Amino acid sequence: MIEIILIALAPIIGGLIYGLERVVRARMQNRKGPPILQPFYDMLKLIDKQAFIVNPYHSILGIMHFVTLWVVVAFVILGQNLLYVVFLHLLSALFLIIAGFSVKSIYSHIGANRELQAMIAYEPILIMTAVGFYMINGSFDISIIRESSPLLLSLPLVFLAFLMIIPIKLKKSPFDATEAHQEIVGGVEIEYSGIFFEFLYMSKWLEYVFIYLLLILFAGNSQILGAVLSVGVFLLVNLVDNSTARIKMKHLIKIVLGIGLTLSMINLIGLSYV
Amino acid sequence: MFDFKPIRKKSPWILHYNAGSCNGCDIEILACLSPKYDIERFGVINTGNPKQSDVFLVTGPVTFRSRERLIELYTQMPEPKVVMAVGSCTCTGGVFRDMYNVEDGLDRYIPVDVYVPGCASSPELIIDGLVKALEILESKTKEIEKPFKLFRNETNKDGVVNRRNSALKVGEEIDDEEN
Amino acid sequence: MTTYSILIIAPLFFALAVLIGGLRVRNILTVVFVLVLAGASLINIFVETSTLQTSLSHSFHNLFILLDSLVLIYFLWQGIIKKHNFVTFFALLQMMLYAAVVFFSPSTTSSDILIDNISSIMYLVINIVGGTIIVYALGYIESEKFSRFKKNGFIALLFFFLSVMNFIVSTNNIEIFFLLFELTTLCSYILIAYRGDEISNENALKALWMNQIGGLAILIALIVSITQYDTVYFDMLISSINELYLLPIVFLAIAAFVKGASIPFDKWLLGAMVAPTPVSAILHSATMVKIAPYLMLKLAPAMSGFVSVTITLIGTFVFFSASLLALSKDYFKEILGLSTIALLALMMALAAIGTDEAITACLVLIVFHSISKALLFLQAGILEKSFNLKYVNDINGLINHSPLVVFFIVVGFASLTLPPFGAFVAKFMAIESIANEISNNPLYALALIFIALGSVFLTLLYFKVLTKLLAKDVSQEKEVHVHIPKLFTIPSFILLFLLIIGIYVIFEKEFLSSVQIFVPMILISVVPLLFATLLFKKAHRVKEYYCGEKEEVQLNMYYFDIPRNYKKVITAVAIVLIFILILGAML
Ligand code: SF4
Repeated sequence: MIEIILIALAPIIGGLIYGLERVVRARMQNRKGPPILQPFYDMLKLIDKQAFIVNPYHSILGIMHFVTLWVVVAFVILGQNLLYVVFLHLLSALFLIIAGFSVKSIYSHIGANRELQAMIAYEPILIMTAVGFYMINGSFDISIIRESSPLLLSLPLVFLAFLMIIPIKLKKSPFDATEAHQEIVGGVEIEYSGIFFEFLYMSKWLEYVFIYLLLILFAGNSQILGAVLSVGVFLLVNLVDNSTARIKMKHLIKIVLGIGLTLSMINLIGLSYV
Repeated sequence: MFDFKPIRKKSPWILHYNAGSCNGCDIEILACLSPKYDIERFGVINTGNPKQSDVFLVTGPVTFRSRERLIELYTQMPEPKVVMAVGSCTCTGGVFRDMYNVEDGLDRYIPVDVYVPGCASSPELIIDGLVKALEILESKTKEIEKPFKLFRNETNKDGVVNRRNSALKVGEEIDDEEN
Repeated sequence: MTTYSILIIAPLFFALAVLIGGLRVRNILTVVFVLVLAGASLINIFVETSTLQTSLSHSFHNLFILLDSLVLIYFLWQGIIKKHNFVTFFALLQMMLYAAVVFFSPSTTSSDILIDNISSIMYLVINIVGGTIIVYALGYIESEKFSRFKKNGFIALLFFFLSVMNFIVSTNNIEIFFLLFELTTLCSYILIAYRGDEISNENALKALWMNQIGGLAILIALIVSITQYDTVYFDMLISSINELYLLPIVFLAIAAFVKGASIPFDKWLLGAMVAPTPVSAILHSATMVKIAPYLMLKLAPAMSGFVSVTITLIGTFVFFSASLLALSKDYFKEILGLSTIALLALMMALAAIGTDEAITACLVLIVFHSISKALLFLQAGILEKSFNLKYVNDINGLINHSPLVVFFIVVGFASLTLPPFGAFVAKFMAIESIANEISNNPLYALALIFIALGSVFLTLLYFKVLTKLLAKDVSQEKEVHVHIPKLFTIPSFILLFLLIIGIYVIFEKEFLSSVQIFVPMILISVVPLLFATLLFKKAHRVKEYYCGEKEEVQLNMYYFDIPRNYKKVITAVAIVLIFILILGAML
């Protein structure tokens, strides 16, 4: 029962995280910042706005992206197969990318291309993370992973690699070249407006839920560690976001893959000797 | 039905367009977003994308080169929307008035809701103007207001001419004989 | 008469039948024949579930030896008249070794024909997918300027190819396997040289000599196996194999690498692009290259320890590097070709792991790769014939002209990478089976990284191609639909249908639960449509955002500049790995 409620509320939880994050970021910059409910005001406003369509495929693909992401989050909550979740998440990202390509807009294309390149960076690391969990528990099932003892101790390097991809997924500096707000005006989102943008806006919230749910998996069955991890990472990611500049796509891939894959490989090899 | 109107003023996303300004007012607008004035506390986001914004912030006197882009951007913003003219030169032409390459103010092309004077207008003034604009935004309908364009030769007798009557639809060419 | 003999012998008669006769007769006959073959392969998998073994009579063996000598003489002759030293040299070498093999051939016998589950699945792939491509070839070849006899000959040759392929997956005798291996080489040689111009000839010769290396490897394996194990049969070799002496297995694996066009033997498959598109389609999907994973599957039980790890590493390394190299390519068929090379290498790597799960993954990949690749190559052919397009960068907004072709291409690409299609399930199981092995041997961690990177590169490759296809014009007037002949689209629909059946089969076999497949699929398809019907009426149509500018833009595909020396380094690494494999097996 509680799972179903959680699934239904997932976007709202994500919205709250996002709202909180905007406040925290503002406080870090010594500002007052918007109210915590700001994302919901934005959402309601977007419903009221006039809707523009560039072409029907584009809008439908945007909605598909949102639905798939929600299914992904639901599967994580329900404790399904982690590897399958990772690939389903890839599917949702690809819907967005195809949407980006389906309009004849320069920014949209650049954004979609960068999204594809970012995928090169985070996808292998997500797979390595899943394999790391598998090697310890002998199963990809999230429900089993949740019941094991804290995995952080046996997967410290994989955890570090996972930390590196959080900013990519949440579009945070220094790895936010996919969205690059002032530079390519939001990338793939650019042609969406009104209620259609709403879906993309909400899928951003779902992305928060997805990433933090995966993060909590590192805590295994210890809820305290999970809480500490998520709060700590939340603050860390925002701190890094506030204090670093955006780096180029090329460097993003090199840094994340170079460091992340090496770290996770060392960890996996280490595990095989234990 | 749920009434969305009060929500509108809680999340104004702005599109900032520089129609040939000297950058004085642009800097002031950016100052508004900085920690000291922090207009993000009203929920403002500088989107940079007309399709997702509510408030059109224009600076500069509208040079010839920027006219079409201005209207293009205006038409790409979904209703309801408000237009703010920031700076004296955007309101009336300011220091650039009657120059050969300048259109003397924003309202010759698109309907303006709030005029923020000052060369350069101070951040406080801009925030005041924004608050005013949000009130107007709340009362707006979702009807599309077409941008219009005045005949060039009538701009000299400013205030006498009924602007709406002499408006052209966007994209129509001005007849040479009429000029 | 058993189904396998129908599958092997009937295509030979079909080939003769389509040689004569006019256009209509030939078309009708071909469709009927393809239906017969497909039906036979289906009957085979449903009726004959047990393993089947028989031996052929002595006269058959003599016939095969005669045939083999003829083929080798033909190669030699081609090498001499085309003045190609490699071909001549390898043909001579093969003749010598073959003579030795025939001379020393041991008297121990086992069954010549052995049909197990893997063969049955291969029959399905060969006959159904291959048959669909033959139907497609009917339309394709008519738009070329050749004489009627040559056109009929083309179709006949494809049937002959199917026969050879059906035989090769049923045989248990390595000598016969060698003959058939050479026959596929011969077929591909003739098919690639079909156009008869200079490039075709050159590439055909390239394909010939590279494949001859494979033949040579088989012969060496035969000799080693005769001297060490005193047998020329797969099953006896595998059951009596000594873990310390895997040399015959290694050489057979090298033959598989050659047929599978793994780097460093990749040139011949890419050169095969000059042939008419149905040839590429049939080489890449149903026949020829599929010998490679099939052979690996056959050898899988005998592989262990060092050999297994090294072959897995080579396979995954090639998977990764071929997908990396493909990123800089522009020629549509070349992109498809490199991705074939990559996926074949993955199949071989999976077969070499040898666990049950890995072998299932390999089989699933074989089946679905062939369907998807056939679908994509058919689209490449349509692009060539109906739109005169070969390079991805020339395709501008194809969706305005033919949404159907774009749909097929998108489905083709998606079915190679994304859930819920079969190839995805294979990838999924591949990762799982490799993850299982890491604790046995840390080197598998490297293989895992290669797989993770390679699969993401392939995704990048496929979806970057879509850049040029999908961009839809906003203004309606520009939508000019191009008519595409029925003979081109119907095979594509058949393949699409097969893909959808594939999803069902995956569900049936419980690779994934119904919740995992159907819930997302239904939600993803229904909810957006619901919203679309609700929202789209009220929405306004607008143009894209160009910063207010009015200029038309031309959108191009992203290129990823892969430095030249990468290619050299990759080839060098692959060659070194293969030498390590041979040396390791010898010591
Ligand atoms: S109002 Fe003054 S400061 Fe502002 S843009 Fe115009 S000239 Fe510059």
